[in-house]
Amino acid sequence: MSSEPIERRVSYLGDRLRASKCGICGKEYFEPRDYCSNCGRKSLGKMSDFDLFYDKGELELCTLVTEPTNKFTKLGRYVYGIVSFHNGKIRVPGRLTDWLIKKGEDVEFSKLEGREVVPRFRRRYSVDKQEIIPTISLAFTFADEYYLHQEYVPVKPKHEHELPGIVGYGFYTSRFRIKEGILERAVPFIDEDAITAAVESGKLALIHSGVENTRVGKVYVGSESNPYAVKPIASKVAQVLKLGTEEEGVLSVDAVDTEFACKAASSMFKDAAALVSYPKSGIEYAMVVGADNSQAAPRDSPGGELDLFVGYGGTAFIFGKQDVIAEIEAWSSCTSDTPDFWRRDGEIFPMHGGRFTGDPAYFKHVKKAATKLMENQGLKSIDIDYFVTHQPNPQFPAKVARELGFKEEQYADSLQVSKFGNTYSGCSPTGLAAVLDIAKPEKTILMVSYGSGAGSDAYLFRTTNQILEKRPRQKLTVKYQAENPHLEFVNYETYRQLKLGM
Amino acid sequence: MEKHPVIVSVGRTKFGEHYGLEPEKLIENAWLAASKECDLERRNLQACYIADCFLPITNKLGLEEGFLSELTGLHVPMTVARSVTGALETACHAIRAGVYDVVLVGGIEKMTDRWDKIRDDLMLLEDPWSYYAGGTPESNHELMLRAYVRKYGIKGEDLEALNLALAQVSVKNHEHALRNEYAQFQRRITVEQVLSARKAAGKPLGIYDFAPVSDGASALIVASEEAAQKMTDLPVKVLACTSATDYLNYPARDDLTGFMSARIAMKNALETARISLHDIQIAELYDQSTVMEMVSLEDLGFCAPGTAWRSIRGSCSDYRGYYDLGGHKLFTNLNGGLKADGNPVGATGGAQLYELFKQLRGEAGDRQVKVDELPKYACSLELEGFGASARICILGGPKA
Repeated sequence: MSSEPIERRVSYLGDRLRASKCGICGKEYFEPRDYCSNCGRKSLGKMSDFDLFYDKGELELCTLVTEPTNKFTKLGRYVYGIVSFHNGKIRVPGRLTDWLIKKGEDVEFSKLEGREVVPRFRRRYSVDKQEIIPTISLAFTFADEYYLHQEYVPVKPKHEHELPGIVGYGFYTSRFRIKEGILERAVPFIDEDAITAAVESGKLALIHSGVENTRVGKVYVGSESNPYAVKPIASKVAQVLKLGTEEEGVLSVDAVDTEFACKAASSMFKDAAALVSYPKSGIEYAMVVGADNSQAAPRDSPGGELDLFVGYGGTAFIFGKQDVIAEIEAWSSCTSDTPDFWRRDGEIFPMHGGRFTGDPAYFKHVKKAATKLMENQGLKSIDIDYFVTHQPNPQFPAKVARELGFKEEQYADSLQVSKFGNTYSGCSPTGLAAVLDIAKPEKTILMVSYGSGAGSDAYLFRTTNQILEKRPRQKLTVKYQAENPHLEFVNYETYRQLKLGM
Repeated sequence: MEKHPVIVSVGRTKFGEHYGLEPEKLIENAWLAASKECDLERRNLQACYIADCFLPITNKLGLEEGFLSELTGLHVPMTVARSVTGALETACHAIRAGVYDVVLVGGIEKMTDRWDKIRDDLMLLEDPWSYYAGGTPESNHELMLRAYVRKYGIKGEDLEALNLALAQVSVKNHEHALRNEYAQFQRRITVEQVLSARKAAGKPLGIYDFAPVSDGASALIVASEEAAQKMTDLPVKVLACTSATDYLNYPARDDLTGFMSARIAMKNALETARISLHDIQIAELYDQSTVMEMVSLEDLGFCAPGTAWRSIRGSCSDYRGYYDLGGHKLFTNLNGGLKADGNPVGATGGAQLYELFKQLRGEAGDRQVKVDELPKYACSLELEGFGASARICILGGPKA
């Protein structure tokens, strides 16, 4: 048994790589301290805290671990070393992640040493199933590969909009894929899960929006693969991203997890938008994250048909009324108790299929929410520039789009299932992110999510000029991650093993 | 008038895997061997200083004082330390201050009782943040080697020579252990074995570069010079027993190519002992890895920074039992070092001092070294963790 108080303290310090700096001599320390060992007592009160969470380091020295300590055995072989920041002013231990090193594969340390690396938020090591999951950001990847280093620069907002909307977003997935036929699907690395994807996508959304983390007053995380039955992902997102102001160890942010199969996140868009619009809420910005390590039973067992389509990833949106990139003009939701996909408590894989699949579930709800919203707004399919919907497989979204009267050029940009698989709660949000990546100002986007169980949320967005201004801040676009030269394709066995995690 | 501490007798067990023995049995054997040698009656012991690193973890034995009391039937003050050299340092302070005249100093470890978890324990103790980041008990040694190679720009043929030199350290220590009946590994190994183990692992260091995990115990009877007169004719003087420390977190240290703690402890030890470095003819170094033996030659001042590998290479290509350091003959790790003698962490320092005691008295049998006459001065280096603490002991032979 590991010690919960110790694990929590290590997470608190290690998730963001909290450090401090002496205000007199400039010496830096990981972890934070109240006192500089150079300057002695006169440094008391002159130390300032900072962290390395958005920083870039250098892999100073490295070696190979082939026989890890017990809790790291599921990582197999990995490169471990010393990472320095700020020209060696601060040095931390770290391992390289996102690298499957085969037995006998030559690792040339001198070619790795000196390269720039970025801290990644990951699971720290394996623990027993009943224990809390330890995390850390002492895992790194190279800054010139899949995951680029991006600075986080909070920007003072310039313009307040009448309508609330999206002020920034981020899409995150791993660099691993499985390819079967033409279908590519994202596969998490073994130290990733829905929690790490939620945090990473939230981090990208903060970077893109330029919103000050302290001004986010609420965070919703929608997921159906939370590794905990009870314990929110949202609290981790809030703490690691430092949402709200920190006082006496707590943050002035409200955080909550939601679940409604694949619409757990999209359902909260309207709540977030309403919250930031309500003058007495005192909340300027609200973050909504949809993240899943989409679960599926092995291919030949009950529920195994999902195994053909499941993906991995997270998409985060920040809602507010200032410097909005896409205003929400209208919404419409519908719900019925139609169980077409479910997972009983204690079961690790969901069940799917039976009489409600397809027409009575997906098609019925998506169409209803879409037509209702268009009717309300007096719109026809031809008036919409982009149509985005839930993508459980490549066929369903195209079919429902056609049935609603949309042409391929209206929905093709949003179709991402054949690049990342079905990312469950992150699925239609990822389609939306793909569209926001390319849309010009003054374009209308109709997004219709679908969650099994069943229900749909339809939203009508209109992009603004801000979309162009903010675009250069995000290098990790959906397309960049779909067509990245650093993608690594794994076989079926590796995919299953990586998905199970450490 | 300050009293001078001397070692009167020594005892130890064989190091290795003692699955059948309780930890108490090991310390009993070492203690009885030391007592027998000087014909010590228990009632004359005024205090005990016992070292162990892991007993509370490996054997859930927390109150070592209690079981030692039960074992010896004594009710004297007992102090628990983490290393034998650390225990000795405290014991020497007490003797110098005139508090005690005869004390027992011992060390014990039972690492194989937790064989499946001991690497995690070792690493967590050594450096928690490195453990959390995925470090292993081997990785810091390898990173130190990488730091060394980079700092001194060693490449090409030189790098090959350095790697060979490190292999020869291990081969040499195994060679020495052939004549040590207490050693864990009494077998010869070859440079090829060391190199191919590295190659098979794809790592800078392989299994033959590292000391094993061991069980064992060691004991010394330490007395004031006056009290020792009744117990032995050949007392071995503790001329200095010093220590220094460094940050637990290895990456955070100022210098990654050696142990600052060892450098400071050695400087202080030489000053305390009032001898010069070249008076020292034997050094028991802490070769938890071959890299540690190499950098320790530099840390202790025997070689200039960045050159130890050349001296090792030069001495080992035609090995005559010692390192030839610019004309100075330095015998190292005559018991086989940690690599071959074994490394039951809390007892290891006692085995180093055991060896020096025997050598300085001329009682080391077929391991005995002599240049023209018996060696007069010897030193040991004991590192705790990855050099978070370094301890130096300088001993003077009966004629020193």
